Amino acid sequence: MYSVLQGCLGLLFCSIHGLLGSALDCPDRDAGGTRCSISVEKLLDRAIQHAELIYRVSEEARTLFEQMFIPFSFHAQQSHGGHLCTSNIFPIPTSKSEVQQISDKWLLHSVLILIQFWIDPLVELQASLDRYDNAPSDLLNKTKWMSTKLMNLEQGVLVLIRKMLEEGSLELHNNESVTPYLLPTDMVEHVLRDYAMLSCFKKDAHKMETFLKFLKCRQTNRPSCSIL
Amino acid sequence: MNNNHSTFRKIYLYVCVLQEQAKTMERKDSLSLLCVLVCVWTQATYTQGSTQVPEDFTPEPIVLPHFTSCRSREQETFRCWWSTGSLANLSEPGALAVFFHQNNLMPIGWQECPDYTATVENECYFNKSFTHIWTSYCVQLRATSQNITYDEYCFTVENIVHPDPPVGLNWTLLNVSRSGINFDILVRWAPPPSADVQTGWMSLKYEVHYRVRNASHWDKLELESGSQQSIYGLQTDKEYEVRIRCKMSAFDNFGDFSESVFVQVAPIPTKVSVFPMALLLVFGVVGMLFLLVLIIFSQQQRLMVILLPPVPAPKIKGIDPELLKKGKMDQLNSLLSSQHMYNHDTYREDPWVEFIQLDLDDACEKNENSDTQRLLGLTRPGLKGDDDSGRASCYDPDFLPDTEGLLAAHSEMEERHPLVSESSPSTPSPELAETPFFPVQSQPVSQSWINMDFYAQVSDVTPAGAVVLSPGQQNDTPSKNPVDKTKKEEEEAGKEEEHEKKMKLQLLVVDPDRGYSHEVIARQVESSGAPFCSAPEIAYHTLPPEPAEEPHGWHGEYLAPDGEAQMAYFLPEAPPASMLPPVSDYTVVQEVDDQRSLLLNPSARQSPACPPNPIKHLPSMPAVPVGYLTPELLENLSP
Repeated sequence: MYSVLQGCLGLLFCSIHGLLGSALDCPDRDAGGTRCSISVEKLLDRAIQHAELIYRVSEEARTLFEQMFIPFSFHAQQSHGGHLCTSNIFPIPTSKSEVQQISDKWLLHSVLILIQFWIDPLVELQASLDRYDNAPSDLLNKTKWMSTKLMNLEQGVLVLIRKMLEEGSLELHNNESVTPYLLPTDMVEHVLRDYAMLSCFKKDAHKMETFLKFLKCRQTNRPSCSIL
Repeated sequence: MNNNHSTFRKIYLYVCVLQEQAKTMERKDSLSLLCVLVCVWTQATYTQGSTQVPEDFTPEPIVLPHFTSCRSREQETFRCWWSTGSLANLSEPGALAVFFHQNNLMPIGWQECPDYTATVENECYFNKSFTHIWTSYCVQLRATSQNITYDEYCFTVENIVHPDPPVGLNWTLLNVSRSGINFDILVRWAPPPSADVQTGWMSLKYEVHYRVRNASHWDKLELESGSQQSIYGLQTDKEYEVRIRCKMSAFDNFGDFSESVFVQVAPIPTKVSVFPMALLLVFGVVGMLFLLVLIIFSQQQRLMVILLPPVPAPKIKGIDPELLKKGKMDQLNSLLSSQHMYNHDTYREDPWVEFIQLDLDDACEKNENSDTQRLLGLTRPGLKGDDDSGRASCYDPDFLPDTEGLLAAHSEMEERHPLVSESSPSTPSPELAETPFFPVQSQPVSQSWINMDFYAQVSDVTPAGAVVLSPGQQNDTPSKNPVDKTKKEEEEAGKEEEHEKKMKLQLLVVDPDRGYSHEVIARQVESSGAPFCSAPEIAYHTLPPEPAEEPHGWHGEYLAPDGEAQMAYFLPEAPPASMLPPVSDYTVVQEVDDQRSLLLNPSARQSPACPPNPIKHLPSMPAVPVGYLTPELLENLSP
């Protein structure tokens, strides 16, 4: 599964990299070429803004969905049990101390992996929501917006990786498919599945935001940001 | 005991009665209830009389040990609390254990609580190493001795985060409204020190509450992610209480409230600023009023004209209304005559007046030098000494027509009535002039009167001064016509009156070819029959050689060789020509009497046996020749 995931991500990354090459190919030239270059700080700020917005909107979408379609009893159960949202494809830091110990490279890569992980499921979610009879338009708009913004964030993170880490491409060794591990298999109903997807996406958006903010903090060289 | 009870009961009963009596609206119900309860209780105790323990009416439910809550303050550690329940044997310390389980990548299994807090009862503390976000936890409460799980609780750490309250809450005054009633403040705070906001580990949202002190309702402001917020619309006469709390963004768990901060702003007296404004306003208004009054009084006339425009007076173009007011007829007449519109009327009305006036003016002047005088060689004693109005004396015996006027009349006969001369204004006597006009107009011989042998031509002047008239050309007397006409008009007008006795004889002699000044001979005929009679005869005598017609035609006032024409001029009544004595061609003018009438040949004078016929006819017609008036006649004629 990990290799499959990696293969997919690699394909995606290559294609996107090609696109990025044409759209964002703006060499950092100090002399005469400063027109289209952007500083790392600004780029990181923009990425953080994107992540924050996506996180906020994901929360709103999840709340909307919960109010519309999820009975209260199940809601209580969910808050206790939590979800097996993402199969731990790769170890993700879960505590502050772990994040502090992690390197920039790993942070960026984690963010990128998360982003790329969610692009397709969001499209599926959107399609699933469109099939609902009485889905509120606000919810549909939010999901559409999230998928768009996620793709934008992906591009930005790629540029960041290229700038900060000075890496050309990223190779992921995850060949496993993601979808079967996304949800518990006993959830068959569309409603519950969509609700689980929204909750999981919110969690992952939180992760993205947190990691990017940590990165930002590390730019300022504060002692609390990193232990390293 | 009984005494005590009885006294107690009495006291209580007494209190009840008092309370019953002293009921107020608000506390009525509570007091009565209390009273009833107390009374019942005393009764109960009294009746029972013993200190028996009341039985439990409701069995106490068994409460199992359970988790009360799990909380995290900073998303790095968390604690869980539980209660032992109502079971007695489980309330001993160590009887219960907490086990937890993490659903992460590497499931370890159930672990016991890493740290049972020593100081706090029934608390389990999970430190940083055991706290993982984005993972779900489950904790279980188990009995240590038995394999019983009393309670289980699953959660994710970020869902149980209740941040600490913000610190450093303070306020600053933004502004006070102009009226001094309202003010705005800016509230500032700092994030809780335990929350790591700088690294982005926690992103907090703050909520500010405020209320009027000791009020029951708190007002909330919107969530703020910054570190300051403004409160608008506070009132200066009230004291406010402000507090704040925060929560993680995208989560619902608020932390505790901070310490309250009290806000009060003293009202600033603003009456000082009002006073000068009012004064300024008053002064401004007074000044404007003063200015307005000044303007009105200074421009009163103009304002009156503007507001109440004067009614336009009647206005005739070219004529000063002043003339109309004061009756300056002369000037008015002159003005009017100068206007074409009036010319016709004046001409129509009073040609004879003009004529008279003209005659007067010029005749008087020419009296001494008149041709007639020279011709006659007479001096009239009374002429100069005549103290009549110049007009009358001039006119009376010797009517000397205005040369210019007659000539003008002659020349312009087509334009208007030939008898009228232009230059002088006419006096109004319309009735005299009009009626004979028409017969004149309707004359078949409209121009034939020009050809009348009405005038005699002076052919020679005798050495004695007598004028010898000769039968004149019959076409040469155009200018006499206006005179004739005016005479006739006069006759018409005054015929009913006293003209029986008075007659004026006028002989108009015109010879334009010869340039003779035409003369108008008027003779006032007295009431005496002889001169009256004779005058026509004489006049007839002086007529040019056509004797046939009648001077009767003009009723003795005009010498008209052409009787037809004359008759048409004159009045309807035409005396038969036969009544008149035969008229010779001419008559020698012997002298001019003192009234400036030409006295013709005395031999030609009439015999006393003058037929009265002419005289008869005379009364029917105006004795006054048209166009000629003596002052007496004028007085008689004028109404």
